[in-house]
Parts: sequence; C-alpha cells; structure tokens
Amino acid sequence: MTGQKAFDRAAGGAAGMKKLFPGKPRIAVGLATCGIAVGGQRVYDRLKEIIGKTGAGICLTKTGCIGYCREEPLVNIAIPGQPLVILHRVTEEDAEGIVGAVRKGTVPHEKALCRVPSWDHMTGTVITYGTGFDEIPLYAEIPFFKHQKKVILRNAGFINPEDIEEYLAVGGYAAAEQALTRMDPESIISEVEKSGLRGRGGAGFPTGTKWRITKDAPGKEKYIICNADEGDPGAYMNRNEMESDPHMLIEGMIIGAYAMGAKEGLIYIRAEYPLAIKRLRLAIDQARSCGFLGKNIFAVDEGRACGLHGKNIFGTGFDFDIRIATGAGAFVCGESTALVASIEGRTGRPHPRPPRLTDPGGGLWGIPSDLNNVETWCNIPVIIRNGSGWYAKIGAEKNTGTKVFSLVGKVDRVGLVEVPLGTTLDTIVFDIGNGGGGGKKVKAVQTGGPSGGCIPVRLFDTPVNYESLNEVGSIMGSGGIVVMDEDTDMVDIARYFINFATGESCGKCVPCREGLRHTLILLNRIMAGKGSAKDLETLALLADTIKNTSLCGLGQSAPNPVLTTLAYFREEYDALVKP
Amino acid sequence: MIPKETVIEPAEQPKKQVTVSINGNPCRADEGENILTIADREKIPIPHLCFEPSLEPYGACRLCMVGLVRHGKTSMETACTLRAKEGLTILTDTPEIVKYRSVLFELYLAQTPKSTVIKEMAARYGVTKTRFLRRVDTDDPLGGSCVLCGLCVRVCNELMGAGAINFINRGPYTVVNTPYAEPSRDCLGCGACAAICPTHAVRIEDLDGERVLHSWSETKVPLARCEACGKYFAPAALEKSVLSRIEPPLRDDLAGLCPVCRAKKLAKKEILAATGGDLNHA
Amino acid sequence: MDEKTLEEIIARYDSPSGKVLGILGDIQRSEGYIPRETLEMLSVKIDVRISQLYSIVTFYSFFSTKPVGEHVITVCMGTACHVKGAVGILETLEKMLDLPGDASEDGKFSVTTKDNRFTVEIARCFGACSMAPVLQIDGILYGYATPASLPAILGKYGWKAS
Repeated sequence: MTGQKAFDRAAGGAAGMKKLFPGKPRIAVGLATCGIAVGGQRVYDRLKEIIGKTGAGICLTKTGCIGYCREEPLVNIAIPGQPLVILHRVTEEDAEGIVGAVRKGTVPHEKALCRVPSWDHMTGTVITYGTGFDEIPLYAEIPFFKHQKKVILRNAGFINPEDIEEYLAVGGYAAAEQALTRMDPESIISEVEKSGLRGRGGAGFPTGTKWRITKDAPGKEKYIICNADEGDPGAYMNRNEMESDPHMLIEGMIIGAYAMGAKEGLIYIRAEYPLAIKRLRLAIDQARSCGFLGKNIFAVDEGRACGLHGKNIFGTGFDFDIRIATGAGAFVCGESTALVASIEGRTGRPHPRPPRLTDPGGGLWGIPSDLNNVETWCNIPVIIRNGSGWYAKIGAEKNTGTKVFSLVGKVDRVGLVEVPLGTTLDTIVFDIGNGGGGGKKVKAVQTGGPSGGCIPVRLFDTPVNYESLNEVGSIMGSGGIVVMDEDTDMVDIARYFINFATGESCGKCVPCREGLRHTLILLNRIMAGKGSAKDLETLALLADTIKNTSLCGLGQSAPNPVLTTLAYFREEYDALVKP
Repeated sequence: MIPKETVIEPAEQPKKQVTVSINGNPCRADEGENILTIADREKIPIPHLCFEPSLEPYGACRLCMVGLVRHGKTSMETACTLRAKEGLTILTDTPEIVKYRSVLFELYLAQTPKSTVIKEMAARYGVTKTRFLRRVDTDDPLGGSCVLCGLCVRVCNELMGAGAINFINRGPYTVVNTPYAEPSRDCLGCGACAAICPTHAVRIEDLDGERVLHSWSETKVPLARCEACGKYFAPAALEKSVLSRIEPPLRDDLAGLCPVCRAKKLAKKEILAATGGDLNHA
Repeated sequence: MDEKTLEEIIARYDSPSGKVLGILGDIQRSEGYIPRETLEMLSVKIDVRISQLYSIVTFYSFFSTKPVGEHVITVCMGTACHVKGAVGILETLEKMLDLPGDASEDGKFSVTTKDNRFTVEIARCFGACSMAPVLQIDGILYGYATPASLPAILGKYGWKAS
C-alpha cells in the first residue's frame, strides 16, 4: 500500500487513452467467442509472431466484437492521424501483408471493410481518429451498419475488454461516480423511470418501476441479480455485451445497487459462456482494485495502486460487491424463481407467485431482490450519463432506447444488430440483413426464442416493439431473430421448438410436462403423414391449455411456435394430414 | 431447525374475519386464509392433488384453477395461491375452467391409467376417457400411480428432514426415487411419504423386523423392538431421530419402550406416586 | 478425484450463493463427469443430503453421471444451427462413429463409442449462432460445419474412416 493518493478517474482514463492512442500504429483483433471460433486467435498469434520478428513499432491488442459476425475474423487498424480501418475475413495468411502495409503507414485495401474517421462512445467521449483512406467506404455507408444505432455496443470492437483503463478512457465509470457522489437513490430511480427503459430480457416490464418496488420493499437488505443465462438458442447479444464490454454491466449494477440499497450483486451466467465468465471475473477484479467494488467504494482516503482501490466505493460509505454464479444447462433457469433456486443450490423448479422476487420471503435467500437482464443493466450508465431526456428521444413512445438483436439463420448478413425500438422487421431483415442467403426468398422470422412465435414475411412491416410483437402472436424475448426461407418446413420448426421445450421443461407441472410430451407425439405423427384433421384440433386445444394453465413462463409460452404456425402457415399442416 | 418452507401458525390470536364469495355463496373465513382450505371446508368441489396446508403452495397439479373476478373481469388463478380478503370473489366452474380442467384430467388419465383415485376424481368432473397415449409401465415401483405432485419429496425433505428421496431428472423423464436407485441410508422409515401421497402410490411393508420401502428401491429400515414387551413398534432410525429432537429429552427409562408400554410405565408411576406406593389401591 | 482436490474446489466458494452449482461445475470440468464417490464425499463435506445432490446432478444438462470418452464432441442444436442443418451433422456423426441409437432414459443425450474414443453430446446453444452449424470438440468451437467437413475435423482427434 502506497501513501495518500486521491482517487483519480481521470488519471486512469488518461492512461487508457495512451493505450488507445499509443503514438504508433495499433492493431486490434476481434476476439470474442465467434471471432475465436473462426480463427481469430490464430490471426492474433501470427500477427504477434511477425511483429515480434520484424521489430516493428506496432501495438497489438485484442478487442471485442462490433457485431458483423458474417465477416469475422475482424481486425481493426489505427494508424496515427488516419481513420480507424476495419479489415474483414482476415486469415493467418493475411498477417504478413497486414504488418507490411502498416509499417508503410497504410492498410491492405483488399481486406478493408470500412473506415471510421471518428466514433462517438456515447458517454461523453467522441474519439477522432483522423482523415484519409478516402477510397475505403465509410462505416456509415456499409449497409449492415447504416441503419444501426450503437448505444449498448458503443465500445464493442473498439476497446480491449480486458483493460479497465481503456473503459475509463471512453468515459467509463463516470456515470457511476456521478450517481454515487452527486445523486441520491430517489433521483437515480426517477431518471430510470423517466427514461422509459423496459426489461430487455423479454417481458418489457418498466425497469424504473421494478427498482422502485425493490427499494420500497420492507427490510434493509436487498439483492440485485443479473440474468445472464441467455438460454434462447439463436440469441447471443448478452454474450457479446459481456465479452466485449464487461465493465458496462458492472457499472450499471453499481448504480442500481446504490439506488436500491443492495450490498451484493449476483451475476447468474450460463456455463456455456466460459469466455464471458473469464472476462467478467477479470473485470470484477480490476474494478475491485480500482475501488469501484468492495467496501466503501470510491474511497478518497486510502492509498492504492492506480489511485483507486477497495474500501468504500466513491467515498460514499457504500459497500457493494459482485459475485458470479454459474448455471448448468437448464433453459428454465432463465425464469426468475428458478434462477434464484439455482443460485441457492437447488434444482431450477419455479414456484408459484406470490411471493414475487421483490417481496419479503420471495427473493434470493428470502430477501427482496431485483432481477434484470444483462442488457437492461447495460443501459443504465448511458441513461445516467446522458440523462433520461436524451434516452427517451431514442426509439418510440413507450418503447424507448435501442435493442440489440441477433440476426441469424437463413439471412445473408448474419450478425448482431442494434436499432432503436420501433424499427420494422423489414428494415432489419432486408435493409440490414439483405434478405435471404443464397438468393432464397425469406418466408418468416422467429422472434423471442422458443417462447416466441413465427411471423410471416407479409407482416414484416410490424415495428419491433413489445406491444406490436405481442399483437402478432410473438414476443420480443431477449432479442433473437431467426430468419427462415422458402426451404424451411414450418411444421418442422414447430416440432423443433416443442422438442426443445419438452427437453427443457422442469417437469413440475402437468400441462407443461405431460401436455408438451403429447404435443410432440402429435406433431411427430402429423409429420410422419399419419395425422388427421382431428389431430390438428387436438393440437390447438392442447396448445391453448398449456398456454393458459402452466405454472411458469416456459410452459405458458412454449406453445407459441405451434399457435403461430397454425395461424400463419396452416396450409403446411393441412398438406400433411388426411381430412 | 425449522426448514425454510414450513408454515408455522403463530400463537392463537383472534384473526380478522372476512367474507369471500365462492360461486355467489358468501363464506366466512379468517383474513389471509387459503382459499382452497376454505373451499374444502365449505365442501365446494375444487379438485387438487399437490396442496398440503402445512407446506407452502406448490403449484404443480394445476387442477385447482378458479376464476378470480376483479373489476368486472375474470382471470384464471390457482386457488391454492389465493388468500382470503374482504370481498374476494371467485367462480369455480366458468366455461373456460371446465374446458381446461377437462384437458388436464385427460392428461392425468393418460399419465396414470391405473390409478383409481385419478379415475374417480376425473369422473367427478365429467372426464372418463382420454384421447392421449396412455403411459404403460409394467415395472413401476409406484404402481403406475405417481402424478409427480412432489408431496412425498417435500414431506421427506422439509418436514421430516430425512431427505431420503428426491426428484431425479427433469421434464417428462422426472421420477421420484433414492439416489442411484439404491436403498437409502438416510431413510427414517417414518412412512410420511405414503401417508401424504394423494394416489396411494407409495408401497411400504413391515416384514420380518424391517420396514421395507418397496417404492424407494427396496430400502430397508430395521424396526426397533420394545425393551419391555418385545414387539416391533417403530423404525429404529425414526425413533432415534425423534428422541434426539424432543426438548426436554425423554427420560431414559421411557426410551426404548413402545407407546403401550410407555403409557403403562407412566401410569404405574403416577399411581404409585398418588397412592403412596400401593399399585392395587382401589 | 482425491479428497484434497475436492477440498480445494470447495474452498473456492466462500458464499452459499452459487456454491453448489459452482463446485459441481468444477468437478464436471475436471473429471468429465461427476463420479459417485466424489458426490458422496461432497455430501459429507458440505452437509447436503446425497439425494439432493443427485437430484441436482440429474436435473441440469451440464452434469453427467457417466464417464466420457477421450474426446467429447458437442453438437449445437440451437435454433440457428437447426435451421442450418444441425440434424444432418448429428446423423453424420452417428454414422461415422457407429454410435448406438439414443434411447435415453434420463433425457440427457450422451453416447460414447465402443472404443471409448469419442463421446457425442448435444448443447442447446453456444451463442456462436452466426457460424451455424456449430460443434465443439474438447472445448474448441468449429463453425460452419458441414457433413463433408467432419472427417477432416475428427481426423485431428485421431478418427479414421473404417
């Protein structure tokens, strides 16, 4: 422990800025899970080797994912004074050429996707890279990026997610400091309420309201929990948020903990995300060593390493720390009471409400608890920093802000898409996604994961917001959008989802356990050509019953794929059954 | 140590009386009383399988659905999670409930085609056959009658504290049994599981000085013999567990006796004390 | 797993929140499955009934009660992967490895080849949907998998066509 040293977020930020702008070329390789899966690590290793051998004055680092997954591995190059250039589909073999070009002060144009002259990090920091490379298209001209608005993913693909100083450099933890030292819990909650932020896990419950209910719940002890289970197959927004910008989540939770009076925050994260777990653990350690987590956070008095360390965050007398709890492969543990049971070391079987999580006796260890999705937490720093008024102007009425979606399946441009709520499916699937891959015609999208429904292409003028998606029989869910084309068999899709739900059902209640089992038997019979029109009636009746009598959201929403395909693609069912 | 989910009734305090309406009939109840308990008491038929007053509502069977009338609208809720308050209005047989309940009973009949309890309950609500594939399990230690209501598991773990059985697997593969389907070392032999099972699926038999739990992988718990009369009177493990939990502890001379002999010994002692040592005092 | 290793794992968890699943997850990662003796030892050390622990192990897909082969192949059966042909990947693997059909009694899909070389399991989503279909071998993800690319991928792990 060194002597007295005042906490200095600006100093940390300045140190981070030097890493982003080291005065020499900086090459950053996109190393989130999918980047690594298609060879990003090999690209990094090869670049490291060559840079080491040639003694070139080049900084090599890692970064997260900007979301254009189809084009991975992605590498970005920042040459002093020039715009940031993003290279795409980079392989090991390109490494030599890249280093060669950078040493000459340029980039390999044939690998360039776009250039970024400046970038707004949304939390009070606009970074200007430079001008030049006019022959390379601008980021804003790239069809995949053109219609997007990066608020949550503002740092993803730009900063090194394993370095807190780079997060500080782009305005990180300024919102937390503001909240803890210059605002009180009431004004924080009021801001969140006025922003109109709604739960990004899918239910769309007003976040500010939930926070207020938690804060007002009886008792001095509260817990805050982050749902990072992201069980919907096809959805990986949260994964990217945690792998590319973990501090954003931590900062959001610090603000929320202070607002609601929680001393401990839990992040419940699925076991299938080892890299996200690793980066979060690292980020938490870094935040602790900077005094953003622990006892008396942001202490001004005690001396420590980077001017920040442990005890009393922000000198406020407020203690808060975060713990990670891992899941173990159960989709049902995305349901709040099952999630809490899992953290408590029990099987993930939901229990009826009342009591709700925010009631005494209902939350984690019986203590009122607030549960929010990763992306909901990630919205908090930017709301506090830029104000609820700024946030409420984005998106649509009652559906403010942006949402990150994973656009996958039979679509041409696959990746993560962040758009203001209210953007239509047409824009997302056709303008951003460029329609069906391989020249096929798009037939439908499935939104909301296994709890959602299939929406036919003729309804793609539907704006993506909570209410409109409900009206067409689907849900927003956590943000997965799976595109289906003319070759997709919609009855097979219905069967796929029922099979999924059957396997993931906890088995506690009869409509879900037995009802889904018989729904699957029926669908198999229908698909084998042995079904009758009467079977279709039974299918509809079963689906209706399961939806209305199941104990938890899994059962209540499991029939949605069946119900929507029956409504919109009836002809595919009729073709399979005897009259 | 009281397990988390046990409901303990506080010492007798006069509870506020309220009137709730069930099917248009006014019913008096304590404020906060469970609606299902009230319905049972008033003999208003609401089917249920997984409800147990001494445990928190569980929500597994989904049979106790009722229509809750609020601001002119009726929503379906489980009766077991509703508590009495002044003016609470419910309907037990709306067309919606009848429709869904019938489908649920068809699912039950398919799940436990051999259970007479289920067949009778379903018949009471107008369901006598099922269009769904019946489960055929020739070797089921629970006689094809288990509805997975969870009562045996909860009683064993939360009330008795033994934890011999639990749910295994999940979804349609769920069963209740001992771990690794082997005889349990934690079983007390109390038989609470059999007593609470709504379909009488649990098979227990006292045989040759042992309590044999056929349904739980043939777990065998030796029975204790009364030190006085020599009869088997309780599983030894259960006796040990109960004796260790009694506060103040049972007198040494009474432990190891069956209830009959214990009563005799106590009576003898009382009479001796009252008569100054003459057992034959008239 | 020896007692000391188990105690080291238990020591990592100083709070009851997330402790049981955390310990079991560490055991699963270390041994490839949850050995019975380890579970019995754990039951004693953390004072949780064996029936409760067994219930947890059989409930969650991540845990296995059966030992696995030398290499574990996990095929993703998520929505994006399904739509891009994951079923075909699984069927091809079953043929290539001569695997018995998956008549599982516990709902967990985990089949091991007779020579114990390969175990095939399924996962619901790795979150690498952009490169569907995806499979994972010994923790390494392979995206854009096709039935045709499987021999080369498996060849890296010692598979040979028979």
